[in-house]
Amino acid sequence: MIASSSAPQSRSHNSKSNRWTEFRIIPRLETFPWAVAFAQTVLGKVILLSLFCLGLFLTAYHPFPVLAFTLAVALITFMPAYRRHVMTIAPVAIAVRCYFKQPLLLGLNLALMALGMLLYWCVMRWPKSLFAKRPITFLLSGFTAVILMACLVMRGTWSYTPLWGLVGTLSSYLWYFCYAMIDRNSQPGRDATLELSTFGPLWGQNHIPIPKGAAYLRRIEAKNPEQLAIVQLKGLKLLVWALLLIFFQSVWLRFFHAYLRIPTSDQSLAMSVHQTPVVWHLRWESLILAFFESILSLSIWGHQIIACCRMVGFNALRNTRSPLYSTSIIEFFNRYTYYFKELLVEFFYYPTFFRYWMAHRRMRMIFATFAAVFFGNIFFHFTENWTIIQDKGLWNAIVNYQVFAFYCIVLTAGLSISQLRKHSSKPTGFIRGRVIPIIGVLMFYCLLNVFSFPGKSYPLVEHLKYLASLFFIHF
Amino acid sequence: MNSITEIHEFVQGLLTGNGDEKPLTDSDSLFDSGRLQSIEAIEIVLYLEQNFGIDFAKIGFDREQLDSIEAIHALTQSACKIA
Repeated sequence: MIASSSAPQSRSHNSKSNRWTEFRIIPRLETFPWAVAFAQTVLGKVILLSLFCLGLFLTAYHPFPVLAFTLAVALITFMPAYRRHVMTIAPVAIAVRCYFKQPLLLGLNLALMALGMLLYWCVMRWPKSLFAKRPITFLLSGFTAVILMACLVMRGTWSYTPLWGLVGTLSSYLWYFCYAMIDRNSQPGRDATLELSTFGPLWGQNHIPIPKGAAYLRRIEAKNPEQLAIVQLKGLKLLVWALLLIFFQSVWLRFFHAYLRIPTSDQSLAMSVHQTPVVWHLRWESLILAFFESILSLSIWGHQIIACCRMVGFNALRNTRSPLYSTSIIEFFNRYTYYFKELLVEFFYYPTFFRYWMAHRRMRMIFATFAAVFFGNIFFHFTENWTIIQDKGLWNAIVNYQVFAFYCIVLTAGLSISQLRKHSSKPTGFIRGRVIPIIGVLMFYCLLNVFSFPGKSYPLVEHLKYLASLFFIHF
Repeated sequence: MNSITEIHEFVQGLLTGNGDEKPLTDSDSLFDSGRLQSIEAIEIVLYLEQNFGIDFAKIGFDREQLDSIEAIHALTQSACKIA
């Protein structure tokens, strides 16, 4: 799993053309034996940690105060045997740090962590129980029941604040619990402390568990000093890459939006809705820019988290990996936001695929894709943005999701077709085999972005009008 | 041709289809290393259902059991014993 440091020797014999394809803006330090050896020395570790700490200061991503995070990573680097101890303390420390002035939320966080561990224990203790067999169904329906209960409570009553507090806190732990529940069959051996540590990872808690649950962490953990050095070098490299992207993003935004005064996609859509549309080429420009900006900001966000995770000693895959190279819709979906896609696949796609339409190969795939990309995607965003339900009420919140539901339907159709076409003969050659498919995929996602506004949007018809206006169709 | 060779050829075909021409050993990680995507586990599942008669609805699906050619081969062996 973790690359050996001897890999680069074979590359030295490669042809000149291969050298060009192997070219990297940031050298592959983890494949240089001297760098790996140096990163295992005391001086090397200190330099590595100092550079990472400096890099974190320059980013806006601070899962912990930077010095506290660096201290924890330093402890893990010099005493890797204590990695899991440090990680186990992290969820509690993060909760106390974030909510020490809000006793209700602090209590809810600690109670839910205890609940998560209890549920994990129950699944282990009674593996044949109905709950252990269908933990995800239980968790998702349980959470839905809590939301419905909170919706029934009137504003101003004593139970209103605690119930919505519970909804908010539970929404941030829900998918971590799901991963813990499916961890029951995982090999090698289970570890309750590692399960707890995933509820509030040292590298920061998000609604999407990055990088998945304890089972995955066990498989990608650095097992010896050489592997730790390699993983940490990769972590540092990724942080440097994130910093370069941050710089590029700042230049991009200044050039296109401040200097050339191209409106953002939101502004352009709002102006169209308010009957003062910008000229057609600006609508296209803002749409294309918004698409690339979303890739850029998602890459920066994901790279920072994965860089921190790698510094702790876990060789996680990147969240976003060269999406612009995708030659199919399904490939782009895989490359764009890896861990969100994994979440949808693990909790919606696989369970549906192994339960329904068993005798029909194509229907199995299409139905499983629908379960993941339509139902799972909407459920995730609906519960993630629970404040919309609190503010607008359940029905209005559902209505608010009409545009996003349309987005999910089109995406489901695109991904289903892409999966079914995977085995058809593909055109060959650079232009027909690479360039044209890439342009087609980017165009699909770029246009789909018109509808990518989970929870906060204009009526669907306004988005459709905006899309049509890009092709000079007005209604 | 024995089953591990067949499995190897099938997985190699999936990788080649993705433009992955790197050498593949039987113990190489397929999913955790990112060489295959989670959706492609379904391709392997369909192949195993069709060619080895494995019923995942019955034995339960765990992607770790498909993470290398050795693991897939072990799965086919244990499934044959159960059958």
